[in-house]
Amino acid sequence: MEAHKNMLTEPIIDMYNVCIRYGKDPDVLKDIKLTLQKGSFHFLTGKSGAGKTSLLSMMYLALKPSAGTVMIFGSNIGYASRDAMAALRRRIGVVFQDFRLLEHLSAYDNVAIPLRIRGMGENEIKKRVKELLSWVELDKSMDKICSTLSGGEKQRVAIARAVINRPEILLADEPTGNVDNDIAVKLMKLFIELNKLGTTVVIATHSKELIAEYNYPQIHLENKGLKIIPALRRAQ
Amino acid sequence: MKKAFLNRYHSEIPLKEEKSNLFLEVSTAVSVFLFSIVLAAYFMMTSMVSSWNKSIIDGLTVQIMPSSEALTADEELLRLNKVISFFDERDGVEKVRVISNEQIKHIMSPWLGENANIENLPIPKLLDVKLKNGKTFDYQKVSSELKEVASYASIDNHGIWLQKLMKSAAALKMLSLFVLAVVLSALAFSLFYAVQTSLRVHQNIIEILHIMGATDNYVAKQYAKRGLWTGFISSVIGTILGFGVLIMISHLSSGLETGLIGSAKLSLWHWGTIALLPPMTAVLSMILSFLSVKQTLGKMM
Ligand SMILES: Nc1ncnc2c1ncn2[C@@H]1O[C@H](COP(=O)(O)OP(=O)(O)OP(=O)(O)O)[C@@H](O)[C@H]1O
Ligand SMILES: [Mg+2]
Repeated sequence: MEAHKNMLTEPIIDMYNVCIRYGKDPDVLKDIKLTLQKGSFHFLTGKSGAGKTSLLSMMYLALKPSAGTVMIFGSNIGYASRDAMAALRRRIGVVFQDFRLLEHLSAYDNVAIPLRIRGMGENEIKKRVKELLSWVELDKSMDKICSTLSGGEKQRVAIARAVINRPEILLADEPTGNVDNDIAVKLMKLFIELNKLGTTVVIATHSKELIAEYNYPQIHLENKGLKIIPALRRAQ
Repeated sequence: MKKAFLNRYHSEIPLKEEKSNLFLEVSTAVSVFLFSIVLAAYFMMTSMVSSWNKSIIDGLTVQIMPSSEALTADEELLRLNKVISFFDERDGVEKVRVISNEQIKHIMSPWLGENANIENLPIPKLLDVKLKNGKTFDYQKVSSELKEVASYASIDNHGIWLQKLMKSAAALKMLSLFVLAVVLSALAFSLFYAVQTSLRVHQNIIEILHIMGATDNYVAKQYAKRGLWTGFISSVIGTILGFGVLIMISHLSSGLETGLIGSAKLSLWHWGTIALLPPMTAVLSMILSFLSVKQTLGKMM
């Protein structure tokens, strides 16, 4: 009861005074403060090179902050062991800007990876993967090797792989960049459905139409800093 | 349907297509081949030494050369008793017995024929010295002491010679153990190096797996599986080659049915141990692959 009431006031990602820097380059982001509540939905915006992908990589624990503290699911990632990090990552779904599929595997096997990592049985995996792949209209390409798929098909495989595990956090980097409008609408519906089930969603995008149409708050990156632009209307 | 079934077994890290596999297979096969040969040599030396040892432990034979001058029976007896008491007084001697002419005749029959009249021949007298259970002599020391007491008596140099041989055999055994250790470490090192190289090659895939929540164990298991198979297949080849060479050697040496080398036979138990090399290599290579991945990933990412 209590947990339900607090759903939107329970921080799931918390950053204090975070800096991101690559090697000796100047900071990409500096002194970032950001708190995302459980079950929230944000767009992540900013010019190319503003640091959207960098910020997301920190959220999916592939990048450590060069300074500051990052708490995810209440754990300070600066102190988490390798296995604890792996356990946290299993609760996060990621769509990479450049997909990062395993090109030598079929669409089916790519989507199955998170389930295999969790040690799920092959029969259950088959059921779930087939269902999801047909939902993203890839049932015909299921057994195709990924290197032979089109950009849009790859993107849908990448999204299917990110959501197959019903993650608690979904981080998507330009997830609708390569697909035509119908599919983009369908994918957004998928994200919104997941969000309604409690998944915290962050979608990096350049698309003004997307932002205007779906009307969620934005995390906007500018001049190494960050500001939250609230939704114009109430979210549907 | 069939395709989906096969797909199930696609591992995420494409280890089967790796170029370094051939290197690993060849080096494993060669290592196991060498290992089987050296191990067989070790076994042969062990059984050779233990059969020599048995023939020494039983006791020793002392020769008393006939005098060049004609001696009276009393003088003859005195000579003999001097040697007998030399051995009787020694620690560890159970019994000293004069070998009868009948027995000598029997021993010599291959050369002299059954009906030779040896009484008229200048044949040495032989003493059979039985040692107490578990006692041995330093043959060389006893031999030189005997020489001072009775220069006409000598320990059958078969024993002295065997004891010297046993000492070098023991050194050879140590050496072969050392070679086995070297071969094993070389194999372990090349395995570790191959795993390390492979992890670098597949760094991108491994990073993706990590981001999706794979533990180091998950990655290491894929390498362990490859280690098991590569280890097994290559060591079967190496062992078969080793068996071939060993069978050839034992075939060639079966012509030499003499006491010394003849005892250098591999027992069934020895063959069995060598045949266990493939499963043992497979398990070892599996464990080493697993540990190499864990060790390298901990440092790499
Ligand atoms: N691995 C890296 N090594 C060095 N510099 C990097 C690396 N990744 C990103 N950068 C730099 O960090 C800055 C932010 O890059 P990032 O990819 O986060 O931007 P972005 O907002 O995602 O851009 P885009 O909209 O084009 O995807 C850029 O200046 C980029 O050159
Ligand atoms: Mg980007």
